Amino acid sequence: MTWLTSVVSVDASFDDVFGLRPDLHDSFQAFYGLFWEQRLVDPVLLEVARLRIAQLNGCTTETTLRYRPAIDAGLSEDHALAARDGNPGALASPLQGACLGLAEKFVLDVHSINDDDVAAVRDVIGEGALVALIEAMALFDGFTRFAVILGVGETSDSVTIVDVPTSMGRSRGQR
Amino acid sequence: MSPRISTPKTGSSDPMAASALGHQPSTLRAFQQIYGLLWRRGIVSAEVKETARLRNALITDCGY
Repeated sequence: MTWLTSVVSVDASFDDVFGLRPDLHDSFQAFYGLFWEQRLVDPVLLEVARLRIAQLNGCTTETTLRYRPAIDAGLSEDHALAARDGNPGALASPLQGACLGLAEKFVLDVHSINDDDVAAVRDVIGEGALVALIEAMALFDGFTRFAVILGVGETSDSVTIVDVPTSMGRSRGQR
Repeated sequence: MSPRISTPKTGSSDPMAASALGHQPSTLRAFQQIYGLLWRRGIVSAEVKETARLRNALITDCGY
């Protein structure tokens, strides 16, 4: 429930609020969608990072979404919940666990990320994919905070699978 | 601390393109698009934006 009630309805979505600045919203959608559309990173790794970051930031809108590319690539609901709750031992691979750890430190204490944390991911997926993954983490962190601060998005606890996102809000709207 | 990512072979003089971001040209272009918009347009003054940027960098301890 947003408090921007002088310009949008009380139950405004992420897109409703971000759409108050359509130029920025359009650019955001183009940026956000690249990671999946161009397969810059394994969509399962993106989902592991997204879910953990959303949980740490208390963003229910994002923790209840599941992106279809990750499901199609093999992410089970048990694995999604393990990612959300920060349980690396219950994930499908050491790489996913390393990605989860990186996402946690990204949010909680970025300076605690050490060479081994980076190498555990980089040495498997390569430098280009690592750069994309870290950029995606920055988007997940920044825009889950955006949603929390402005009080936008739904608060339902039901899990929703959505198609390839071009923005967080549009994803939710594609149920 | 040694670099964790190699310098991209972009040959660009642009500091962002020459940084780790240069490993992903498509996301770099998309980032520059939205970041440029944030600075060029809008009703929030550049002084306020710069204050927020510097405060964020200080809290995150980012010397860049």
